[in-house]
Amino acid sequence: MRRGFLLSLCALLPGAVAAQSSQFGVRGLGAPGRELSARAVGGGGAFGLFDAESGLNPAALSTLSTMTASFTGLQDYRHVENPAGTESVRESRFPQLGVAGPLKRLPLALGLSFSNYTSRDFTLASADTIPLRGVLVPVSDTFSSRGGMSDLRFAGAYKLGERWAVGGSFHVITGSNRIVSRRTFADTSYQAARQTSEISFAGVGFGLGVVRTFGPNFSLAAVARSDGHAIIDRDSTRVAQVDLPYTFGFGVRWRPVPNLDLASQVIYRTWSGANSDLLSQGGTGAENTVQVALGGELTPDMRRPFRRPIRLGVRYGTLPFPLVPGEQPREFGLSVGSGVRFAQQRAGIDLGLEHVWRSAGAYSERALMVTLGVTVRP
Amino acid sequence: MNRGARWAPWVAALAAGIVACQERLTSPGQCPELCPGGTPTVYDTVLGAVPGGDESVQGYIGRGAGAALLTSSGLPASEDRAIYRFASRLDSVSVRDTARAYSVDSVVLALNIVARDTLVTGLRVFLYRLPPDIEPDTATFAGVDPQLIAPALIDSITVPDSVHSGQVVTVLRGVDADRVAIPVGTGGVLAMGLRIAANAPTGIRVGSLAAGTAATFTTYVTVDVPDTTTAIVHQSLSRGAQLNGFVTQTPYLAAPGTLLIGGEPSSRAFIRFDLPARIKDSATVVRATLELLPAAPIPGLPNDPAVLEGRAVLSDLGPKSPLTTDPTLIVQDTLALGSTDTVRLDITRMVQLWQASDERPEEVALLLRPEAATFTRTLLGSTSPLSPVGAPRLHVTYLLSFPFESP
Repeated sequence: MRRGFLLSLCALLPGAVAAQSSQFGVRGLGAPGRELSARAVGGGGAFGLFDAESGLNPAALSTLSTMTASFTGLQDYRHVENPAGTESVRESRFPQLGVAGPLKRLPLALGLSFSNYTSRDFTLASADTIPLRGVLVPVSDTFSSRGGMSDLRFAGAYKLGERWAVGGSFHVITGSNRIVSRRTFADTSYQAARQTSEISFAGVGFGLGVVRTFGPNFSLAAVARSDGHAIIDRDSTRVAQVDLPYTFGFGVRWRPVPNLDLASQVIYRTWSGANSDLLSQGGTGAENTVQVALGGELTPDMRRPFRRPIRLGVRYGTLPFPLVPGEQPREFGLSVGSGVRFAQQRAGIDLGLEHVWRSAGAYSERALMVTLGVTVRP
Repeated sequence: MNRGARWAPWVAALAAGIVACQERLTSPGQCPELCPGGTPTVYDTVLGAVPGGDESVQGYIGRGAGAALLTSSGLPASEDRAIYRFASRLDSVSVRDTARAYSVDSVVLALNIVARDTLVTGLRVFLYRLPPDIEPDTATFAGVDPQLIAPALIDSITVPDSVHSGQVVTVLRGVDADRVAIPVGTGGVLAMGLRIAANAPTGIRVGSLAAGTAATFTTYVTVDVPDTTTAIVHQSLSRGAQLNGFVTQTPYLAAPGTLLIGGEPSSRAFIRFDLPARIKDSATVVRATLELLPAAPIPGLPNDPAVLEGRAVLSDLGPKSPLTTDPTLIVQDTLALGSTDTVRLDITRMVQLWQASDERPEEVALLLRPEAATFTRTLLGSTSPLSPVGAPRLHVTYLLSFPFESP
């Protein structure tokens, strides 16, 4: 009964959480996804490189003891401010899902996951007055985009003894943007103009990861990934090719006391490789990003460690695509989370709440993001 | 805890989850700085008609085949006389399979006024008898007008100033009915011509066969039948117009280098354009205006405006080009009498049709409503070097394909 109530509360919680979508994802390829499970989000993402349900480190799959399916939903509430005004927006997304599990009699685990790589979900509304046929005519514009790039990952992890686990992943990067530009005129002699297009993306990437365990209380993780480049088609016509970043990540996990887990990770992405490609297409360029996260998980009842642990996290990072050339957006987030396992731990629900502040010059936003994860272990 | 109570929170959670999944993404945009690709740019250009690709063709609707007939008195637009020739009235009436002679008690002549200048007072319509063999299609003003004189006068109808349109009648009794008497053995045909007078030069449009509103000729008779009921003895013989038309003193003709639209027989104009590839292939047209320059002040009957109509051409077969019947591809504008201002027709949908289908010619057909039934005519400038004013042109406002691929 109390679990049900908790779930209801989770669904109803309003939030100004930074969702994957953002006005800082309007330019370039969009707002980068984080490939984190709801459990990892609760810890600020600090446990991402050690989390088998997240999509960051293929070697983390080695921690799975049984087949696991996970599904993550996200509801965000944002307050956007820019020189054109302010607005409160909200959005629902499903940024991460996956299935993974160990093979019998082999120290090998395989997994398939689908996660948000970049998101370009936005609608911008603006107004202007333009001269037409010698008369000033007020016009209203809306520019909408839905979609983004997705990452389909095939991953495997292999345990080398008790201390080492290595993993590899193959990524198919795909997806599309459905973009609509609409202009209406105050003078109804002019018909409203509506133009649409579909921008599709295609690319492949490879990743390698490792987890090194030093006893039961300390472990390290690292990941390196190359995503090659994305081929961009507009309505089935090749229009561009954009280099995608290399990703390097390093994480540390420490359990100073039995009921407290601490972790930290740093993710560095070389988005500047896309800079020249984007500039040549009229964009504002791209810059390298770094994401730093620190988090912890407190287990109140060690006899039932999966029953409502308390997760806290903080993170700071930069975003790759500036709105104004030279002003790289930054974000700072605080998060809290918890979860329950039930049905003999065959099912679980995790909740993460995160409050994020993002800014770059005159542009800023704050957001509350509610991440709900459902895990099933049949 | 019973089973229902256990599931209630989960059902509530599902409902709450559905409610929570709302999307509202519209936020203010500081464009073009924030918007990928900038903001849509609106272009405005004026395209001339294809040189030599415009023409006016006469003969679509003949005089008398339109929705009204013209009659005028001193109207600057034109001087016209309407003519009706009624169907034959037999000399006898058949009663019990026997032809019986009859005597005329009274005659009613009815006219339908379709339009008049409502600001002109004292309107009178004069009905004159014309030879029964008159052919309205071939009659001329010079042949008809001299016959509309006092000895041929049947009657006159005073039209009250409050009557703007509708039926007006005259009833002839006794000796007055003799003015429309048809001698036995002459074929039984009555023809009449119309002339008007008013307190100022003016004109009227009266009903026609084509519109089903032509004049009628009704005779009330007493049949020479002894010992029969009143219904058989007293009968009415109603005859509608069999032929009608009108004659014009000075037919309106196209001046060199001009396009004539209207008149009688009616003229239509065809104007061809050639959209540049920049517009035809990839532009979003938000407004397209056909601009026409009158070569002379537009004549007509005041307070009885005519409508210039533009239609999309389905296939370019010259004067016999089929025209669309799709209401969305038919545009109209009321012509202002006496004006030489540019006449504009919004043909946005037509230009969008040209973009969408290569099979549709980039051509506009122009005609005047009501065709061959209005005092209004218009002479427009053409692409000819002889044109006294500028050629037809197409003012197009459009957006080019938005650079969506711009990041």
